[in-house]
Amino acid sequence: MKSSPRFGLYFLVLLTVVISFFPIIWLILTSFKNTAGIYAWPIQYWPDPFTFENYISIFNNSPELLRYILNSFIVGVGCTAITLMCGGIAAYALSRLRLRFAGVMMVGILAVSMFPPVSLLPSLFQNFLNFGLLNTYTGLILAHAGLFLPFSVWMLASYFATLPVEIEEAAKMDGMGFVRIFLTIILPLSWPGFVATGLIVFIFSWNEFPLALVLMTQNAMRTAPVGISLYPGEYAFPWETISTATVLAIIPVLIITAIFQKQIVGGLTAGAGK
Amino acid sequence: MANVTLNQIGKSYGKDTAVENFNLEIEDGEFLVLLGPSGCGKSTTLRMIAGLESITTGELSIGGIRMNETDPKDRGVAMVFQNYALYPHKSVFDNMAMALKLQKIPKAEIEKRVNDVSDLLGLNDYLERKPAALSGGQRQRVAIGRAIVRTPEVFLFDEPLSNLDAKLRVKMRMELQELHKRIGVTSIYVTHDQVEAMTLADRIVILDGGKVAQIGSPRDVYDYPATEFVAGFIGSPAMNFLPAVQSESGWRITGSDLLLPHPEGLATKSETVTLGIRPEHIEVITVVADPDAWVIEATVKLDELLGADALLNLSVQGFDLLARVSGTDFPEAGSKVHIRMDPARIHGFDPATGLALSREPISER
Repeated sequence: MKSSPRFGLYFLVLLTVVISFFPIIWLILTSFKNTAGIYAWPIQYWPDPFTFENYISIFNNSPELLRYILNSFIVGVGCTAITLMCGGIAAYALSRLRLRFAGVMMVGILAVSMFPPVSLLPSLFQNFLNFGLLNTYTGLILAHAGLFLPFSVWMLASYFATLPVEIEEAAKMDGMGFVRIFLTIILPLSWPGFVATGLIVFIFSWNEFPLALVLMTQNAMRTAPVGISLYPGEYAFPWETISTATVLAIIPVLIITAIFQKQIVGGLTAGAGK
Repeated sequence: MANVTLNQIGKSYGKDTAVENFNLEIEDGEFLVLLGPSGCGKSTTLRMIAGLESITTGELSIGGIRMNETDPKDRGVAMVFQNYALYPHKSVFDNMAMALKLQKIPKAEIEKRVNDVSDLLGLNDYLERKPAALSGGQRQRVAIGRAIVRTPEVFLFDEPLSNLDAKLRVKMRMELQELHKRIGVTSIYVTHDQVEAMTLADRIVILDGGKVAQIGSPRDVYDYPATEFVAGFIGSPAMNFLPAVQSESGWRITGSDLLLPHPEGLATKSETVTLGIRPEHIEVITVVADPDAWVIEATVKLDELLGADALLNLSVQGFDLLARVSGTDFPEAGSKVHIRMDPARIHGFDPATGLALSREPISER
């Protein structure tokens, strides 16, 4: 009797996983089909023939894909670096320095992040045009950093809140100033928080569409999602190219997640207190 | 080594007062315990002495020098925290050496001092380990070591044993006693555990709602509690309190027919009084020889064997009393017994103010 609710739970988890992963699985399967297989009726589930043709041809026919992925990577890394740096400092100040109105400021930051990005586009475009930031990495990095900074402040502030205050107080009594405490105590201890936040921000930036579409108009500067979305031609919808390109664009994110996953789970604060 | 003086110290957060009008002179080398329930202001007081909390009113001096505005690191104090507060990413050695490194003390001397202290605390085998690889007791020893290494003028302890299990707590308590005997540095120790207070303290300060209820030696606060609060807080199980009304022939316990004679030395002008007697000062009498007004009949409602002692829940003419008797031979639940309250051990408190009616001169208030 005791195992039946467990079984139900696992069934629900499995169902959720299958449903949410189905598009990705389908995408991967499609990337190994030939054109006939994609349009075959009745539906062809397993690719037949199983072909790597699409992966070979995409590098011959649309070599700019690698450029798109590189662009996405540069923007993602830049945005993540700025977001973590500014977000970390802001979150520490707001959560630990007993500032007046810290709560109000936190809510303010949250409120600002509620504007739909599209509503920012016209003014952002005009200003970037004036400053010569269109079609530059700096431009899109700044735009993304601005977009995701509120999220990172909230994430990091809530992570700092889990660190025992006493460690900082002990450091104070040992003779450290707050800059030193931040650099030598808080940063090493909140490493998992920074990795988790950074990873999410990186993925956000990697997937971001409207700003990347409008602020990067030259083909050589496009990011992966924008570039891939522009593949469909006037008469043809090249599903095999799109699915293959999308699979390739997911891979860097997967690799990065795999590398840092251990750090997130790590939990460095073990042993600080009880 | 230094004395610590609190002169009219107070702390408020906006309109809320956490501590008020705290006067205390802690002597050089003294072991002083701040005792009270949570929220009584004991930790706040300690944190004000440490410099982690600003002082709203009054003056704090350590070694005769005003310290109100001084940085924590320059006060000559070292603190041991309840949850140890070790740097989890640093080795035991680095945890202990941190303050010295920040003071730019030469490496060789740091090493010597840390090694001396780890000798003293038996931490030699663990110097390279991270705190996560230590047991609770070892972690607390590192935290104490980190404080000793700095050779402070004053030690501050904020409930240092609360996170340890009962057995380890007793062991560490004894170690702390020994340590204090050996290095003799002025120590201020915050706890809500009266056993720690009674065993460690030269003097105990009992705080109640941000105010000092009594300052005295462990013996004093147990034998001559200055207020009803102190009487109820010190001693386990707690003192029995019996509200009574004064009459010609003695005190009539409220809600009962029991009339007790006036115990000697307890005088009050007011009509009402709260009588107090500790469970250990009530005995079960088997033979009633001479007529004695302090012997009364009682029914045992519940008996609890603790081991060496037993607790008797007694019902006496409409009110309840708790008695602590020897655990070897005691009446069981349901039996009718005679009990005797020791008149010399009866306390009286003014129901309005909670202050003790004087029996003996009380050392300080």
